[in-house]
Formats: sequence, C-alpha cells, structure tokens
Amino acid sequence: MPVTFTFGEMLSARSVIGSTLAELGDEHENLWVLTPDIGATLVEFRDKYPQRFLDVGLAEQACVGIAAGLAYDGNIPVVSGMLPFLSMRALEQVRSDVCYPNLPVKIIGTHGGLVGNGGSTHYAVEDLALMCALTNMTVTSIGDPLMVGEIIRQSMTMQGPIYIRLAVGKKDRVLYEPGQHDVRIGKGIVAREGTDATIFTHGTVVAQALDAAEELAKDGHSVRVVDMFTLKPIDEELISRCAVETNGRFVVVEDHLAYGGLASRVADVVADRNIHLSAFERLGIPQVYAGFGDDEELRNKHGYGLEATIAATRRAIAAQS
Amino acid sequence: MGHMSLTTGGSPHTVEELKELAFELRSKLLHLCGTYEGAVHIGGDLSAADIFTALYHYGLDVDPTDIANPARDRFVLSKGHAAVCMYIAMAMRGFFPYEGIVDTYGQLDSAYGMHPCKVHLPGVECSTGSLGHGLPLAVGMALSARGRGELHRVFCLLGDGETGEGSVWEAAMAARSNELGNLVAFVDRNRQLMTSFAEERVVFEPYPDKWAAFGWNVVNVDGHDMADLVGAIDRLPEVDSKRPTVVICETVKGKGVDFMERNLAWHAGSLGAADLERAMAALEASRDKESV
Repeated sequence: MPVTFTFGEMLSARSVIGSTLAELGDEHENLWVLTPDIGATLVEFRDKYPQRFLDVGLAEQACVGIAAGLAYDGNIPVVSGMLPFLSMRALEQVRSDVCYPNLPVKIIGTHGGLVGNGGSTHYAVEDLALMCALTNMTVTSIGDPLMVGEIIRQSMTMQGPIYIRLAVGKKDRVLYEPGQHDVRIGKGIVAREGTDATIFTHGTVVAQALDAAEELAKDGHSVRVVDMFTLKPIDEELISRCAVETNGRFVVVEDHLAYGGLASRVADVVADRNIHLSAFERLGIPQVYAGFGDDEELRNKHGYGLEATIAATRRAIAAQS
Repeated sequence: MGHMSLTTGGSPHTVEELKELAFELRSKLLHLCGTYEGAVHIGGDLSAADIFTALYHYGLDVDPTDIANPARDRFVLSKGHAAVCMYIAMAMRGFFPYEGIVDTYGQLDSAYGMHPCKVHLPGVECSTGSLGHGLPLAVGMALSARGRGELHRVFCLLGDGETGEGSVWEAAMAARSNELGNLVAFVDRNRQLMTSFAEERVVFEPYPDKWAAFGWNVVNVDGHDMADLVGAIDRLPEVDSKRPTVVICETVKGKGVDFMERNLAWHAGSLGAADLERAMAALEASRDKESV
C-alpha cells in the first residue's frame, strides 16, 4: 500500500521504510532485509518475502557479516536496526566486511541523536563521525519521512554501501511537498531561501531550523536553511555557493557531536576551498553523556535547541565582515 | 556426492595423490618463507596444508577457468592469516600461476598480500583477515544459495583460536536457526594461539561439545590424515539437509617441520637460506617417517 500523507503533518518514517521495502521487494528479486531483533515495520516485507527476510536475533556483528555474505553473492541486503549498535558494535564488520570490498549493503536505522530517551547507551551521537571516516561509505541523515522512501529507492542502484540515519521515526514532520525538490544523494536541499545567513543541518533538526528561520523573518532577517542530508559525499558546490549568497555567515546545527559530524564536514570544505567566512557557529552535542529527557529537553539542555539556534543565527548575522 | 562436477577434466585425486600434493604445498610454503624477507604465518599455514589440499583438490566443486560460475562451491577463509597457503593451493589447482605469488608476495601493488583481498585477487571469494568475520560471511552466502534454490555448498575454514571471537558463535547460532545444511565449517584445531597454547589462558574444551550444543553436526578428524579428511568430505550430509556441519581437524601447528611444530616462536616468521635447507630436510624426514 502506498503511504498517503499531507504536507506539514506528522508521519512515521518507519512505516515509510516498511512500505518502501515491501514495494521494492517486487522490483528487486535480490533484495533482502535483515535485522537484529528490531522492526515491527518490517512485518510487511517479512510476510511478503519470508525467504528474503532474516531476523538474526541479538547479534549485530553476525547480522552485518551475513549481509556482506549475501552481497558477495549478488544480493542487495538492507540491514535495519538501532544505529548505536549497528554503528558501533558492528563497526568492524561495516568497515572490513562491507566497505573494504565495497559491497552494496544498506544500513538503515533509528536513534540517531539524543532521541528516544533511552540514555547514552541508546543514543547514536558519534555515528556520523565514524561512518564518514569509512572509505566507500555514503552517509545520509534524513528528517523528512517521505524522503526516506526516496533515498532507499535511489540506493537500490548504488554500487557501494550507504548509511541511512533516522531519529526515532515514529512521528516526523513532513517537510517537503512531493516533487518540491530534486532529491538526489550527494546534493543538499535548500529547504528555505535566504540571503543573510545559512543554517546547515540534517535529520529532524531541519524542522527546527525552519522554525528558527521563520522566527528570524519576523525581525526582517532572511535566513537560508540547507538540509544537508548527505554528509558524504558532501555537496561542496552548495557550500561554496551559500558562502557567496548568504554573506559568509554559516550556522551548523545538528543532533550529533558538535565535532565530527556535519559541522566538521562543512569546516573541511571551508578550509580546503579557502572559503572566506565572517561567522561560523557550531551547535551540537558537547563532549558529555547526555542523560535522560525528551528530545526537545535534551536539545535545549545541551545548547542546540530552537532558542539556541535563533541566538546563534543572530550572532552570525551581527558578526563583523 | 557431486563434487568435481565443474572440473575441467580429471577425476578426483586418490588419497596418495593428495598426500603428494600436500607435500608439494608445504615445500612451496617453506620456499616462500625462506625467500620472502618479511614474516610468513608459517605455523598456521602448515597446520592447514592438508585441509587446503583436501578442499582445493578434492572437496570443492570449483572450476578455475570459470570463477564466477554460480553453481560453484564457495570457500571462505576465516583464518585470513593463512592466505599464502590458500594462494598456493589455488595456484596448484590452476587459478593463477604460482610464480606470481613467489615473485610478488607482500610487495607494493601485489595481488598477494598477508591477508586475502577479493578486490585485488579475483578467484578469492571474499576479503578477510580480521578474525571471527568469516563464518558470518559464509552464513550469508549459504542463505543466498538457499534463497535461490541452488545446490552448492559453502565451506569456511576457521582457526580454533579465532573461535574465541563472539561473532563466530553468533553466526553458528544463525546457521542452525536457518537450517543451513549447505554450510560446512572446517576448524584447524592446532591448539595454539599466537602467544599461548590452548587451555593455558583460554579454555576451549569440551570443544566439539560446544559446536554440538549450538546444534551443529560435528565430525572429528585427524587433520593430517588425508584419508580421514577425504572420508569426512565424502560423508557430508546432503546439501539440502538442515544441520550445518563442522569438521574439527586435530592438527599440529608447524606440521612437517620438527623445529616449528608446537613451537610458539613459529606462529609467524622468516627462514633464511640456511634455515630453509634445514626446514626442507625436516619436511623430507617427516615424510619418510610417515611412509614407514
């Protein structure tokens, strides 16, 4: 069943994953779905293609290794689970079994960032740094629930591995009208136009950045929001363009360690391309184990919530050229 | 059993012929260990030499001239540090010229490195080296065969030391849970880790019971008795059966060279010209002793 939705509504990204995979199972007879004991939303695929569904139980390392074995044999395996475990417990399998031979294994999961209130064992906050470090890996972080389906679809024809990061994925704001943007892996999306500063972000924080831009517009500020959903390979051209078009004022906000994620990716491009900036504000998780609380409370506590984003953007706009 | 059906010419080797091939494999290993300047994992190569011979010259249904044939048996080298033993066994089977190994092993841009890489060396089924990774890969390949209704086997060679890795047992559980009777693990049970003997710091026993407890069909053989190895291969359960099989091969690390046997100093090393002569003499002597 295709997912129906309305722009601006809340939608479960997980249900999009489930229905997309079930749909793709028809087109791709070599599509497998594997999970380490996660995935009520995979039921549709499991019921349609029991021969190509594998729940290994609690065994992330074997799960990724088995996916690699399937890929060696010409299959397209999708591994779905919780990202703190797929990105860390199975890191060596991801690196040596999947990335080293450049196999088309798709890793898709939830709990990217301080979400779900599980505590630090259950938050993936280092994952983008780890995944971006791996040769051959494409790294994405998706906020718009419908985009998840599109990215999975595009990933089917990719030669190598891809990492697809979601937050909790139970209830996410639909950000884009269908067809509003040309969604392509490796290309950032200008989610809102603006000329005074650019907020770069990814995942569910895009919604927060759009709210911040809306708030700043009331004071006459024109703030661009870039959904840099592909962290690797990063859209260097767009970063260069934003520097010119938004007066050299960058703000990066993300639900990931402030060092090692998107901010670091953007800073690398700024350094490598010798881009002149007047302001570079970096908001993300500091070097702490964050504790408990709901998503918004944790963002506010750790300095990358809505108010902090507005304040940082004001600082960037006010900075001397 | 339908082994060798892909083979271009020739019936399976006899046990006597296989013994000769194993001797040749050991000689070539020692030659490399004596001429290559860096360290060779000679101890674990020599313990696995008979297993490699039994697999590449008898058990594996492969065609060196058609390495992508979907009906071929798959071989996963989980103990990746025995790569050079696999390279030479494959060369002897006709996959690539032996000279290429001797001339370039370990050198810049060589296809033949310390641990095998599929990207650099087609014919090798997968890139391995980090221990505990091979069995999950083999499970994936066996599942793939099952999914397509193909009737080849997936073989995986592990060292006993590496079965300390938890991922091995995750995969063992997955293999049983998914009824992969098309999966066959060989364990080179040489009872040595790099720096200690088995049971000294790590208790493996009761070793066959561990595999049995995971629901595997367990076969115990003398890993240096070619008739035993061939017998185990002949008696493998049907490919479409439900239990994965582990062939636990009792072996001696450094087998065939007396001063290397059960010697922790020879996990990896390099023979000089003088020691190469000594090692070759020891290998000859060990063969003479066996044939008496």
